[in-house]
Amino acid sequence: MSTARFDELIHPSTRLTLVATLAAADWAEFAFLKDRLGLSDSALSKQLATLEEAGYVSTERRLEGSRRKVRARLTAAGRAAFDGHIAALRDIVAGATAPGEPGV
Amino acid sequence: MDGITPDQARAALDAAGQARRQMAREVGLPRGYWWGMACGWLVLGVLGDLGPGWLVAAATLAFGAGHATLASRLLGGRHRTGGVQLSADVAGRRTPLVVIGMLVALVGVTVVAAIALDADGAGHPGSWSALLVAAVIGFGGPELLRVLRRWVRA
Repeated sequence: MSTARFDELIHPSTRLTLVATLAAADWAEFAFLKDRLGLSDSALSKQLATLEEAGYVSTERRLEGSRRKVRARLTAAGRAAFDGHIAALRDIVAGATAPGEPGV
Repeated sequence: MDGITPDQARAALDAAGQARRQMAREVGLPRGYWWGMACGWLVLGVLGDLGPGWLVAAATLAFGAGHATLASRLLGGRHRTGGVQLSADVAGRRTPLVVIGMLVALVGVTVVAAIALDADGAGHPGSWSALLVAAVIGFGGPELLRVLRRWVRA
């Protein structure tokens, strides 16, 4: 069970969707993520760079034939942060639906 | 907490859940797998009508072994595209069981159709019933699997 911890870095909607997508995968290629999230190359690069800087995502560049492909995966720290963030969001919702109970 | 309202938290949870569900839809088997199976099905049907018993038995075993080998690589459903590998958690453990159940049901349909065609006096009932089921597998295999997975929440 993860400890609830709201994560400001993950919370913005695009980044949350990106991290949730990566959390469901062992790895995903740049082109797949770009298509799935409907982002431009530069927007996705920027989001991945931010997450990589925080240690939440790792990327690797592979040469496949003549094409260079970028593969991204969530690190253990990123997965823990995502799980903690989801737990924190659930706590907020639970606090609102159980008015008799103290909120988180 | 951090000025996030419950509604905002709910919307964020929905977005994360939606992303996960979309990824779960990646589970599946490549179209070529289904067409390969359809061809094997048809060959077995034709052999059942025209071939000697030993050949039918050998072909059935070969088909079963070939399918088992391929299926063991693909049935985890984690390689639909080269662009992503789903986590085992998302791919689910029930998908292989769904595929096996689907195959057993299709064998049943093939046998029942062959018996009905035979009773109706059709020539080569095994071939015709296999052709019918092969068409279902080839054209509708991925869709059938998707519907069955949804039914059993696999």
